[in-house]
Amino acid sequence: MMASVYATLLIAFILDLSGLRRSAVTCLFLSLALCVWLFLWKIYSPDYGFRMPWLQAEVAPIFAPLWSS
Amino acid sequence: MSASQPAEAPIAVALDSLILRLMLLILAGILTAAMVMQYAFGEIPCPLCLLQRFAMFGCCFGIALQLRSGTNERGTGISLIFTILLLVISVRQTLLDLFPRPGHEYVGSPIFGIHMPVWSVFIAVALLLGFAIRLALFGGPHSAPEAEGAPMHRLTQGLITYVVFICAINFLSVVLQCGIGECHTSGYLLLP
Repeated sequence: MMASVYATLLIAFILDLSGLRRSAVTCLFLSLALCVWLFLWKIYSPDYGFRMPWLQAEVAPIFAPLWSS
Repeated sequence: MSASQPAEAPIAVALDSLILRLMLLILAGILTAAMVMQYAFGEIPCPLCLLQRFAMFGCCFGIALQLRSGTNERGTGISLIFTILLLVISVRQTLLDLFPRPGHEYVGSPIFGIHMPVWSVFIAVALLLGFAIRLALFGGPHSAPEAEGAPMHRLTQGLITYVVFICAINFLSVVLQCGIGECHTSGYLLLP
């Protein structure tokens, strides 16, 4: 999958060097879409979804009374 | 240039392209350093690291486009999209690696005490600042691209060709590491 992201990027660069600017930009946005899809697929966990439960935040003691009121 | 639009001072135009060239040069340097780290020091890139490299290449593409067509800011827009992508991926990876846990022990070696995803956050913020400063100082479209054969034009072309070359090397490296499937940091799939 990563290979297809880099392949479309390389094609975009080559098209740009060849003077086919519109096709190059289209190819670049195609690679961007593939990258975003791969990124979301990579960070998705069947257990947590997109959440990061290892990051725990607590209300600091100084603000706790305000929070409870 | 339209009659209503005042001509930009030559020094401002020169400074504007110099900033873009400098950004392209720095990005090319960072991408080269990443390849050196990979092959000279055995730092196999993780999938999110490869996506961060991709975002930097996309940013280079935008800058190259901007350098070759000085009459609109389309290249800057493309670069900004990829800079935001770089920021999102690197921040997510920094948060993923904040607490090493089963399946997420590998974070690579630190450089000057800072791990690579955190460096990527700094790079993305520096790029955003660079584009913001450039737009604040020099504004919108103002110049025609340099004439072919001029020393700066040849320098720009050389730099862009070098970026395409390292992009090709990265593509081959990705194929070597991941094949056409999922990437792993355990080794190169196509090497014995």
